[in-house]
Amino acid sequence: MQPQYGPALVDMIEGTLSWRMWGRLGWLDIKRRYRRTMIGPFWTTLSLGIFILTLGIMWAHLWKQDPKMYLPFLCSGFLVWVMVSTTLIEGCAVFFSAEGLIKQLRFPYSMLVWSVVWRNVIVFFHNLIIFLLVGLYAGVPVNAATLLVFPGLVLLILNSLWMVVVLGLVCSRFRDIQQVMSSILQLAMFVTPIFWTADQLGKRFISFIEYNFLFHVVDIVRSPLLGKSPALWSWLYVGGVTLVGWIVAVVIFSRFRRRISYWI
Amino acid sequence: MASLVLENVTIDFPIYGSQKTFRHALFEKTTGGFIRREGNKNQRVTVRALENISLTLSHGDRLGMIGHNGAGKSTLLRVCAGVYEPTYGKVSINGKVSPLFSTSPGLDGDDTGYENIQTCGMFLGMTPEEIARKTPEIEQFSELGDYLSLPVRTYSTGMLVRLGFGIATSIDPEILLLDEGLGAGDARFAERANKRVDALVARASILVLASHSDALIKTMCNKAILLQGGLIVASGSVDDVIKEYQQINKSVA
Repeated sequence: MQPQYGPALVDMIEGTLSWRMWGRLGWLDIKRRYRRTMIGPFWTTLSLGIFILTLGIMWAHLWKQDPKMYLPFLCSGFLVWVMVSTTLIEGCAVFFSAEGLIKQLRFPYSMLVWSVVWRNVIVFFHNLIIFLLVGLYAGVPVNAATLLVFPGLVLLILNSLWMVVVLGLVCSRFRDIQQVMSSILQLAMFVTPIFWTADQLGKRFISFIEYNFLFHVVDIVRSPLLGKSPALWSWLYVGGVTLVGWIVAVVIFSRFRRRISYWI
Repeated sequence: MASLVLENVTIDFPIYGSQKTFRHALFEKTTGGFIRREGNKNQRVTVRALENISLTLSHGDRLGMIGHNGAGKSTLLRVCAGVYEPTYGKVSINGKVSPLFSTSPGLDGDDTGYENIQTCGMFLGMTPEEIARKTPEIEQFSELGDYLSLPVRTYSTGMLVRLGFGIATSIDPEILLLDEGLGAGDARFAERANKRVDALVARASILVLASHSDALIKTMCNKAILLQGGLIVASGSVDDVIKEYQQINKSVA
C-alpha cells in the first residue's frame, strides 16, 4: 500500500483544528460516565486519593521513609502514570470504538485521537486536587522549577498523541494488541520507579531505568510538581522519542489511514 | 458548483477472522459481492463489493440507486461520502457531503435533547452558529417542548425519531446522500416528515438516493442506476432503469 502523506497530514491538521468537536466529545465522555452521581468525576479522584494515601502511609512505614517525602513522590508519580496508562489503553480502542461514526461520516480521524487524549488530560487535572492536598500537608516547595510542569505536560501530550495514533491503527487491525498493552502496562507500573525511587534500585540496575521511556515521561511532569528540575537526560530522551515517534506515526498513518474504515 | 465523480471505482473488503470452514462455505454460495482469495497462499479472503463503477454527477442531478440487498448500494453511498477510499479507481468529491444513513450520528441516550442537537449537528457538519440558528426550527418540528431538556433515553421511540429526523433534516446540504429515504414515525408525522425531506432535497445541489422502492425513486430522482453484484448493470432515465429492474425481478421469480 502506497503511503499518502498529503491526506494524512491534512487529516492531522484538520483534526487538531476541530478542537470544538474533540473538546466537546472529551467533556461529554466524562459527563456520561458520571451522570446521576453526586460528585461526578471526583469519584475517580476520591478512590485514587484513598489508594494513594493508604499505600503511601503503609509503604513509607515499611520502607522506613519519611511520609512527608514519600507521599508527594508517590502521589505525583502515580497520577501521571494513571494518565499515561489510561490514555494508552483507551487509545487502543480509539478507532474501533467509533465504528458507527467512521462508517457513516467523513471526518479527520485524528479528531478522535485528540478526544481520547483531551479526556485524560481533564481527568488528570481533576486528580491533581489530591496532589494539592498532599503537597500542602507535606510542604512541597513551589519554585521556578515548578513552572517546568508546563513544558513537561506539553511533551507528555505530544507523546500521548503519537502513541495513540500508532496503537489505534495497529489495534484496529489486530485486536489482541489491546490485551497485550494492558498486560504490559500493568507490569511496567511495577518496574518503573513510581512506588519506589530510582536511587533505591542501586547501581546494578540503573541502566534499566536510564532507558525506560515511561520513567522519563513520568518524571518530566513529576519532578516539577515536586519542585525539582528533571534531569537533562530526561528532557533529551523524551524529546528524542517525541521526534522519532511522530515520524513513525506519520509514516504509519499515511500508509494505513484509509484502511481504517475497512478494518473496523 | 458541487460535483461528484467516480472513475472505475472498485472496492474490496478484507474479511478477517473467518474460519477455514466458514470460508469454504462462502465460496459455495455467493450472494452479494464476489468473494475471492488474495495473498501468497490465498489466505486473505476479500469480498468485491463494487467493481468498476463510474459516475459523474453535477448540480441538479438526483440519482436513484436501485438493486437487491447486497447489490452494493450502501457501499456505493459510503464511497460517495468518502468513508471508504476505493481499492482501485478514483473519487473526486467537490462540495460538502451530507450523508444521512442513520438520522442521528453521535446520539447518546444519556445526553439531553439539546445536547444531542449540538453533538449531532456538529457531526453533520454544522457550525455552532448554524446549530443555534436551526435549534428553534428543530424544537418546533420535533414538538418535544420541555422534553428537550431531559435525557433522550426517557423518550419514546416516536419522540426519538422526531428528534433525530428534525436534526438530520435541518442541514443545508450540497451533496446529499440518503439511504432508503428517512424513516418516519406515525401517519401524521409521516406527512410532515415528507414535506421536510422534500424541502431538504430541494436545498441540495446533488442527491444520491439508495432504495428498493421504485415509487420513492420515481418521485425523487431524475436519473437512475441499477446495481447487481457490485456492478452497474443499467443506467439512464428513471423509467428505463426501473423497467430493467422489474424484468430482472421477473426472471428470478
